[in-house]
Amino acid sequence: MVLPLRGKVESARAYWAFITPAFLLYLLVFAFPIVLSVILSLSNYNGGKMFGGEPWTIVGFQQFQKLFVDPNFWLALKNNIYIVLISVFGQIPLGFLLAYLIYRKIVRWGEGWQAILYVPAIISVIVLGIMWKMIFASNGLLADMMNSIHHTTFLAGLNHILQVSGGFNITDDFVRQLIAISDPHAVGAFENPVNDLKDLIVSGGYTAQNLDVFRTDMLNLLSPKWTPEFMSQQDVAMIPILFVTLWCWTGMYLILFHANMQKIDNQIIEAARIDGASEMQVLRNVVVPNLSGVIANAAILCIAGSLNTFALIWAMTEGGPMNVTQVLAIYMYQKAFIGAPDFPLANAISLAIVAFSFILIGITLIIEKRFGGRDQ
Amino acid sequence: MKKLALVVGLLALIVAGATAQAKTPLKFLYYIDATQAGYAEDQAFWQKFKDANPDIDLQIEILFSQAYHQKLGAYIAAGQVPDVVYMWPTSRDSSALLHDQKLVKDLKTVLPADFLKNFTAQALNSANQSSKQLSELPQSFTYTTVVYANVGLLKSLGLSVPKTYAELKALVPKLKVKGIQTLLLPDADKWPAQSCLFSTISGRLLGDKFIDDVKAGKAKFTDKGFVDALKFYEQLYKDGVIDKSNVQLGYGDGPGLFASGKAAFIVDGDWRVGAYITDKSTGKALIDPAKQASDFELINFPAIPGEKNKNTASGIAGVGLGISKDLTGAKLEAAKKLVMWYYGKEFQTMKYETGAFIPTRTDVKSDKVEPLTTKLSKFYTTLGASTYVLDGSLDPSVFNPLNDGLQAIGLGASTPADVAATMQKAQDALKK
Repeated sequence: MVLPLRGKVESARAYWAFITPAFLLYLLVFAFPIVLSVILSLSNYNGGKMFGGEPWTIVGFQQFQKLFVDPNFWLALKNNIYIVLISVFGQIPLGFLLAYLIYRKIVRWGEGWQAILYVPAIISVIVLGIMWKMIFASNGLLADMMNSIHHTTFLAGLNHILQVSGGFNITDDFVRQLIAISDPHAVGAFENPVNDLKDLIVSGGYTAQNLDVFRTDMLNLLSPKWTPEFMSQQDVAMIPILFVTLWCWTGMYLILFHANMQKIDNQIIEAARIDGASEMQVLRNVVVPNLSGVIANAAILCIAGSLNTFALIWAMTEGGPMNVTQVLAIYMYQKAFIGAPDFPLANAISLAIVAFSFILIGITLIIEKRFGGRDQ
Repeated sequence: MKKLALVVGLLALIVAGATAQAKTPLKFLYYIDATQAGYAEDQAFWQKFKDANPDIDLQIEILFSQAYHQKLGAYIAAGQVPDVVYMWPTSRDSSALLHDQKLVKDLKTVLPADFLKNFTAQALNSANQSSKQLSELPQSFTYTTVVYANVGLLKSLGLSVPKTYAELKALVPKLKVKGIQTLLLPDADKWPAQSCLFSTISGRLLGDKFIDDVKAGKAKFTDKGFVDALKFYEQLYKDGVIDKSNVQLGYGDGPGLFASGKAAFIVDGDWRVGAYITDKSTGKALIDPAKQASDFELINFPAIPGEKNKNTASGIAGVGLGISKDLTGAKLEAAKKLVMWYYGKEFQTMKYETGAFIPTRTDVKSDKVEPLTTKLSKFYTTLGASTYVLDGSLDPSVFNPLNDGLQAIGLGASTPADVAATMQKAQDALKK
């Protein structure tokens, strides 16, 4: 149908009347910050005129050059990649598998499991981060558990030494045996371990009558002490964070996959089973192809979420110690707001995050197009 | 009658509206630990200020430790410096831009001269501030290294307060055998090791001149002297004087652990006295006044082998309030009122009595202070000269790698030479 000229004009007016407010809002809220971020990343802005300081100029790609030679950037990027990997190859397969088990009623109380697994996703990540921080702290739950094992082993060893020595009889040999079951670091604090430790015990006033005090004191002094040192080692320190990330978000993907599995025509699955297909074959040949689009979307959500992850890690470690758990978002935040603010560099980091997200999402879409089935 | 009531009602609304409009809004970003003694008294004083100044709509935002610096940093980045802001005299964290860009007024041009004459010359010395103007009025002179000693605990074990590092080291096995740490230095927040201990080590071994020389390009952090200072810091961990677990211990965890006898000593700033004394709002103290008198002392860090500057401790002009440079007219008057209220004799006496700090206001006296606060005054008299606090003297791009590096040294993940090299690289980059 061809509209008369007046109708066309009215249609165009209506079109612009509806589109303009949203378009202006988009420019203000989305486009302007993006453009400003690009400009700042190419500048030497340091607070600049806005605050009455020195004028700023466009300096090209200096910030990116600075970024690419900063080892902290590559460390943060590597940590982000770990999170992307645990999210895409951990949360999604695990969420999918759990959803399938519940969907096919292979496990009992499916709804109960669904609720339990989803609970972490509805609690504030700050609360979760603080909770796990307390668990992994040097005086936290994990350290207490590990140290109680060390203490039990040490006391058993000490009792054995007392038994074979015929009671409380402090000789050089007794001290040597004691050193053998002790924490090397604790023993290393003595210049002459056998003599110094013997002197300490002799001058401590211990007797056969107060062996309990002796045991407690030696436990304090010499028992191996477990501290969560792995929390300060590069790469290893990410393991607790990856574990918490997996625990926290798997339930969300479970819900997503389970909801989409309900849309699969049950008759197809029943027909497959009647034709002799095993559960694994049903999963591989019926359910996965039907949900490939959902899996791809879940992967995009995962990647985007993983690259801007901040709150959980900030609450757990603040990117420390020594930046070993730093990710790009924390790195950007620290450059922008902590110590010596460097806004251009922070904006360059944010653009690097965006570029990296696009690359990963592009790869995901290509894989889905190449190998995926057809969405329901 | 109804009409009359309506008119009266409308008039009342107009008057109320006009009154509300007359209020001057004043944004104040304040820094205080809400768990510390004196918080309730502090808040009561702000309420009194509000009651006494109905024309001011005071909006106080209270934060503490890194959360404060992060928020202020965000405000500055957004170009929204609070009207009145709690700040540091030098380029520490969020205060860096306030000084660099002169985002706050020179208080000498704002506050009346007869008001400023109540403060010590040290507090009014603009040279103590990065901006070289009185951006904030230092409320105290802060010593960032104070060793809080549980002498009662030491006596119960037949031990005495160490005067040298060798004596401190000798205490380690004797304390450890009873499950007690020797020296607490909670450093998860990164700055305490640098501010509360390493600055004093550097000052004792090298002095301020070395730092000045580095900044002038006449010396390097990689010089043997500075690397040796870092090596001494490393030795504290190797000797077990400081336990490795301190690196993962939050700054806020220290006082509770120390007061409960988990360590014989804690190294902290003088401001931390307030954490131990009685919180008048609850009547509770981490260390009750009788125990403060009998069992606790404030001492300087023991003599370090090879130190040139004996008995010194790192110190710096204290924190205080600054006024945004953009304020004019009624807002500026309101901000002046607030600042003068804060630095007034009454408020500063309350701060003194609650153990927050020893004020630079010279007419503040009180006999209501708890023993630990009295001991702090005595502690000051025992000290030699003060030396630089490194985060108050170096550029943030230089002291941040030091903060990271001290953590790494504590954990055995980096060497003193590496940390020194990283700092020198950052220092060199400043010149480019």
